[in-house]
Amino acid sequence: MPTTSNGTAIVAADAVRRVFGEGEAAVKALDGVSVGFPTERFTAIMGPSGSGKSTLMHILAGLDRPTSGTVKIDGVELGSLDDAELTELRRDKVGFVFQFFNLLPVLNAEENILLPLKLAGRDPDRERLRQLIDAVGLGDRLAHRPAELSGGQQQRVAIARALMSEPAVIFADEPTGNLDSHSSEEVLALLRRAVDEFGQTVVTVTHDAVAAAAADRVLVLVDGRIVRDDDGTHSPDEVLDLMKQVA
Amino acid sequence: MGSIALRNLWERKLRTALTALAIVLGVMMVSGTYVLTDTIDASFEDIFTESNEGVDAVVTATEFIDSDDGVVPAFDAAVLGDVKRTDGVAQAAGGIADPQVAIIGADGEPVGGNGAPTFAFSAGGPDRFDPLTYVEGNPPESDDELVIDKATADSQGFELGDPVTVAGKTGTQEYTLGGIATLGEVDSFGGATLALLTLAEAQRLTGKEGQFDQISVAADAGTTPEILAANLQATLPNTVRAETGAENVETQQDDVGEFINILKTALLIFAGVALFVATFLIFNTFSITVAQRTREFAMLRTLGASRRQILGSVVLEALAIGLAASAIGILLGIAFAPAIQALFKAVEIDLPATGTVVAPRTIIVGFVIGTGITVLAALIPALRATRVPPVTGLREGAVMTTPRQARVRSAAGVVLTGLGVAGMLLGLFGVLDPGELWIGVGAAAMFFGVTLLSPYLVTPMAALVGKPLERLRGVPGRLARENATRNPGRTAATAAALMIGLALVSFVAVFAAGLRGSIDEAIDKTLVGDLIVSHEDGFSDIPAVTADAAGRIDGIEVASPYRYAQNKVEGVSGNGYLSLVDPRTATSVLTLDWREGSDAVLAGLGPDDAVIDEGWAADNGFAVGDQFTAETASGRKITYTVRGTFKDATDFIGDYAASDANASAYGEPDTVTNVFIGLEEGADSAAVRGDIDEALASFPTVQTQNQEELKDSIAEELNTLLGVVYALLFLSVIVSLFGIVNTLALSIHERTRELGLLRAVGTSRSQVRRIVRYEAVITALIGGVLGGVLGVVFAIVVSRPLADEGFIISIPVGTLVVLLVLTVVAGILAAIGPARRASRLDVLEALAYE
Repeated sequence: MPTTSNGTAIVAADAVRRVFGEGEAAVKALDGVSVGFPTERFTAIMGPSGSGKSTLMHILAGLDRPTSGTVKIDGVELGSLDDAELTELRRDKVGFVFQFFNLLPVLNAEENILLPLKLAGRDPDRERLRQLIDAVGLGDRLAHRPAELSGGQQQRVAIARALMSEPAVIFADEPTGNLDSHSSEEVLALLRRAVDEFGQTVVTVTHDAVAAAAADRVLVLVDGRIVRDDDGTHSPDEVLDLMKQVA
Repeated sequence: MGSIALRNLWERKLRTALTALAIVLGVMMVSGTYVLTDTIDASFEDIFTESNEGVDAVVTATEFIDSDDGVVPAFDAAVLGDVKRTDGVAQAAGGIADPQVAIIGADGEPVGGNGAPTFAFSAGGPDRFDPLTYVEGNPPESDDELVIDKATADSQGFELGDPVTVAGKTGTQEYTLGGIATLGEVDSFGGATLALLTLAEAQRLTGKEGQFDQISVAADAGTTPEILAANLQATLPNTVRAETGAENVETQQDDVGEFINILKTALLIFAGVALFVATFLIFNTFSITVAQRTREFAMLRTLGASRRQILGSVVLEALAIGLAASAIGILLGIAFAPAIQALFKAVEIDLPATGTVVAPRTIIVGFVIGTGITVLAALIPALRATRVPPVTGLREGAVMTTPRQARVRSAAGVVLTGLGVAGMLLGLFGVLDPGELWIGVGAAAMFFGVTLLSPYLVTPMAALVGKPLERLRGVPGRLARENATRNPGRTAATAAALMIGLALVSFVAVFAAGLRGSIDEAIDKTLVGDLIVSHEDGFSDIPAVTADAAGRIDGIEVASPYRYAQNKVEGVSGNGYLSLVDPRTATSVLTLDWREGSDAVLAGLGPDDAVIDEGWAADNGFAVGDQFTAETASGRKITYTVRGTFKDATDFIGDYAASDANASAYGEPDTVTNVFIGLEEGADSAAVRGDIDEALASFPTVQTQNQEELKDSIAEELNTLLGVVYALLFLSVIVSLFGIVNTLALSIHERTRELGLLRAVGTSRSQVRRIVRYEAVITALIGGVLGGVLGVVFAIVVSRPLADEGFIISIPVGTLVVLLVLTVVAGILAAIGPARRASRLDVLEALAYE
């Protein structure tokens, strides 16, 4: 199992390949990716459009299956799971944050946060809910519907939702892609706190150098391969340099 | 998950309401039907029970064949002596209860028109047998007095002491109003009217001197009604039968029950059609909303919702809609029942309905059907929702990837259409039993089949009806056409709902036109006389004396009495119809299409001779020279020898024609169905008619018509019936229009951004409205054209076996064109709401819409 210097990987991919289509029209989205994500780290996956970064995240999260290779989350090999088991794994071990928030419009903020637990039929931990609400700073807006919240507020609800079930890993797909710079800052700070204060593991796919700069580690994908894997924090400028180098 | 489903419904109140409305209307019809028929049933039971209070046993004439005209023959009054001598009889009284009289109203016309009958009852028995409550006056004491029911007195403004004229079999008679009565709490006998006379006068007026219609019997102390009835049955001749009072209520109840059941079945069929149409609407609405919520389902799946949870959530939505709609439908049905009754009353079918009977069955069936259909229709869309892969939730503007099922779909369409046609044909030719059910099931299967195939028809048909629009209306016309074909499955399902209603309407129109043509032809070919005397209602019998009265008029060559009767022929299943003619005069007014024999055979028919229908002969293996035995209403058996055969294309004559020498054996004596009149050469038709009217003035329910008038009055009756059928089918058309509204509204919601773009580049509001309106018209026309074609095909298929019997298929082109025009209008109406909504979209918001 590939590991990095800081402890064991909670999520690990080994020789993952993913081919879309068949024959002449076949596209290699991932071409042999092996990578591990240790706990309590914030990793940013970057890369130009079509580099395969979204595909990698889908496969890591068990939303898509690799053509070959294996993925493990918290020691469980995903390839051996059927749809129902994958569903359960996503419910219990994975949190998601999307670019377009994807909150249910008919539920208010608090209900959206509790939705995954409701789906699992579990009773929410009231104490954790209180902590999370404090952390995301939405105490006064809990009874509001998504339509009554700003984009930044919606994304903070989505992050609280991902944190609520204490997942093994949180995947964030362009979490700042649809936000202004001020809201982006808030969201990134929140993800950072998730790692530092709540001990979560966060993997984000992003175009945004500022977002990548908030991470502990930056992976760069080009043409379905990992071309850079830089540990340590970067400034936005350093991230931009990194991107230029690989381009 | 449950609360999400319910909140989704609440958030989309308008759509939920529109979807539910389809089920509400169907369930309303179902529960309305049950409430109405249960109420009628209960009202009749009240009436019969009330009438038989104080009666332990009833003696009536034996019905040797189960005739369907409701007229029970009278019997010899001497039976009363036998009754009185029977063990256990305390009191017995004979009476008249004749439904073939008429009270002449204030306007000189018979009260009640062609609706419920007027009964002549006789007074004078012991009080305990008299079910009437006299609200004014007393029972008649002399032959020139009468009592009428309160409803008639009220409607005609008759007061005590007024002269009231009653028409009976022996003519009209004027009486003095001596009393006004009700039956228990009921003002009238459920639509029927009542004239109470002295026994002697009732017998005279109804031509039943020396006869009774029934004898009411009371038991002495210590004899139960059962023993009394058994005693009577044992001692009385077999021309009469004895029942306990309670049994008699049941017998009468069974007679009306048959009619109520027919009514119930007919109404439930219309309800079924409306619900069938609603199924399409629900399927379509759920399909569209599931497609539009693809991202939501994907997100829920990503967050860990299982397929079962997604399925449960969509099914729960359907369940909630179904339950709510059923509840509303049942309540509305209770209110709707009087509306159905009013519809029938408008065509002179007056049914008693006092109080409102809501049986538990009404509520249970309403909920089961309403909810069941909603959930079933939503099941396929719900299963589709579970197949949304989680990964699409991460993509913007994700749309549901529909797996390529085209081949499966068209195969299923072809198979269903084929099976449907096969089912219809097998049902039609009696291979599958019961035929009516299989025709219905076959038709439903065929509708489903055609619906599955119709996406292939949408593009060419949209081009067909859309091209002219495009040429006339430019860009809006073109966009409307493109929009209609963008999702052919959706357009097809929407149009299919309308197709069903219109197919049935055009089927009925074509079939009725054929029926009318056939009747006209039969009248032209068979009735070669000049005038026809008949009852005003067209089917009841008239007094036989009318023939004698007419025969004496100058200018009339023959006045030939004709009687249509029922019998049971030995070795032939079921009752059959026959004609009794006067052999001496029949050939001058009737022409038969002879196969074997000639007019001379008809003119020479002896009492035991018959000429028979060719088809009936073939079915039963009868040939000229053979004999058959007919069992008549009076219980007499007559053996006939076949003297000839004829082809009777429209079943005008029935199974056979025989001499009226035996008329009295076939039921009530002294009545005929028609008198066919032939004029002398050169007679002045108008003058003769005047003379006939004068001679028959004392028979106000009798009318004289020539062939054209007879055809017109039959056509009028047919049209009335058609009106009722159209009114009931209208309900399902309404449901399908809601379907168009719903689909349009959902499509517009889907195309918000696109509409914003159109407005941004300079499309005017009225142009946007037009685009939506034309799309609705195209959808409606697809349904209309498909429905019209299917309806005509159905009519031709169904009337195919009748064609050999002379059924003429004629296609009422005018009616069909009117239907298409109405379809266009319906499309425009359905588009009003959605078009307005589309044109009012805020351009900027629409463009930003995600």
